[in-house]
Amino acid sequence: MRRFAVLVALVALAPFVVRYPTLETQILTFGLLAVAFNVLLGEMGFLSFGQATFNGVGAYAAARVLIDLHAPLLLALGAGIAAGALVAAAIGALAITGRGVYGVMLTFAFNEMAYYLAFQWRDVTGGDNGLRGIPRPDVFGISLDDATRYYFFTAIVVLLAFAFVLRLIDSPFGAVLRAIRENEERARAIGFRVRRFKIAAFAISGGLSGLAGALYAGLFRFVPLQSIDLDTSTNIVVATLLGGTGSPYGPLLGAAVFTILSNALSHVWSHWPLLFGVVFCIVVLFFRGGLWSIPGLWNRRASHA
Amino acid sequence: MSGLIEIQLLNGIVQGMIYALVAAGLTLIFGMLDIPNFAHGAFYALGAYVAFTVVSSSGNFWLAIAVVPIVIAVLGLIVDALAMRRLARAGHVYQILFTLGLVLIVQEAIVLVWGADPTSVTVPAALSGGIPLGVVSFPVYRLFLVAVSAVVIAALWFGLERTRYGAIIRAGIDDPEMVDCIGIDVQRLFTIVFGIGVGLAGLAGALIVPIRGGQPAMGNELMATSFAVVVIGGLGSYLGAVVGGVFVGLTQAIMTILYPAASEVAIFAAMALVILVRPQGLFGRR
Repeated sequence: MRRFAVLVALVALAPFVVRYPTLETQILTFGLLAVAFNVLLGEMGFLSFGQATFNGVGAYAAARVLIDLHAPLLLALGAGIAAGALVAAAIGALAITGRGVYGVMLTFAFNEMAYYLAFQWRDVTGGDNGLRGIPRPDVFGISLDDATRYYFFTAIVVLLAFAFVLRLIDSPFGAVLRAIRENEERARAIGFRVRRFKIAAFAISGGLSGLAGALYAGLFRFVPLQSIDLDTSTNIVVATLLGGTGSPYGPLLGAAVFTILSNALSHVWSHWPLLFGVVFCIVVLFFRGGLWSIPGLWNRRASHA
Repeated sequence: MSGLIEIQLLNGIVQGMIYALVAAGLTLIFGMLDIPNFAHGAFYALGAYVAFTVVSSSGNFWLAIAVVPIVIAVLGLIVDALAMRRLARAGHVYQILFTLGLVLIVQEAIVLVWGADPTSVTVPAALSGGIPLGVVSFPVYRLFLVAVSAVVIAALWFGLERTRYGAIIRAGIDDPEMVDCIGIDVQRLFTIVFGIGVGLAGLAGALIVPIRGGQPAMGNELMATSFAVVVIGGLGSYLGAVVGGVFVGLTQAIMTILYPAASEVAIFAAMALVILVRPQGLFGRR
């Protein structure tokens, strides 16, 4: 609870301290993507390599609802959640057949398929040019036409989603996901319908990713084709591992560090992805807890002394 | 019209042989180590660029074909010995993630060393020219590519199916723990398979570079399709990877004639169908 209060305070104060509301909104939507990814990896132990699929589908769905139906913004967010959850449940159902880490490959391949579909289906997605001209309607009569206001709107939505994830992890449902992660056979033997739980976890992760996509569509009033490509999926994985998978706060931290660093470094050194690759490999080899675990490491060392 | 469809089908086989080489290595590594090696495409791209460097410094394309698979295989041995073994205890997920990190490094390193612009290698004089086919002609080099791939695939198949070492590798794919119990050093076997697997990807890169040239992102473009090939053919099945590779190459070629917009999506639709109807893949055992 204390951590959550600190997070709320940080999010509330950020735009007053550093005046980059657009970048800060991006951190929040990307953070939500990382948190959604970690529901599958950190809790259930499934490495989904196609998270951009759900992000993109949610963004396109929300954008279509806003453009074609002139729907209210909250309804568009709902459309993003529904679209992301549906597609994730379908892909998840296919990806969890087969043994071992077979599914990792499938989420990757289906992401590529989704990318080509978005690329070809120009009438709906705008193809390579992206989807432009997305309106950003008022919410409850309050105009969001200003970057800082939209930041606060996004902040409220993302914090609610984050609170939902915290609650989910503490629930019996979360305990079953961890049981599947630790020993799938045992979870099945106890009597849990593992397959249903896995598909439900995919739907939740996809719904949250779709929500992030919808918020992103509202932020730039534009959905680029990149929002559904494999590079975005890769970035989600990299940022989450950087932050740490042991707690939902880890991915959030990782997403913030990743977004800020990639923005800063791209001005300094055009080959910065090389640096990210090296850091990522080092994290995977030696610091599998990620950034979030560093204070804990320090504490443990201090208590030993 | 005459000749054009035949050319397209031949091109499908050429692309299919590249898929077969890449997917054969991928499926061996996957079958034994249970790792979808995301860096496989990166080794393929490195193969193309190393071939470019060998050809441009020595002027000898034949040398490149011989040297590149060895160089890439040695790189694979190093990666396996330094990282994959260390990560084995942490679990497959971290091994997969490490291969992802390699992708980021290799892709950017290629830009750093060779530049972001596409590179090209000219076909050696002995293989330039074409074979007339109706009103058009088919480049000799592409037939050479098919022949070399077929010979390598057949030789490796012979090695896997008819030699003692091959039997050990196949046993390792079926049940690594049991092979370990018999007293065979499975770790070393993993390393060898990893080397052979990525060596095949390197060879594929060297063979494709005179046709397509090299681009830094070429490996990434290949990865998703190769995964689809492996799923269609059956995990861990060498024959499945080869047949699946040619099947996917031909499907793309045929779709390009019939309905180009869907040529990429068709592959993944076929993959989804295989998962639903025959989850173990066309040649997979269970």
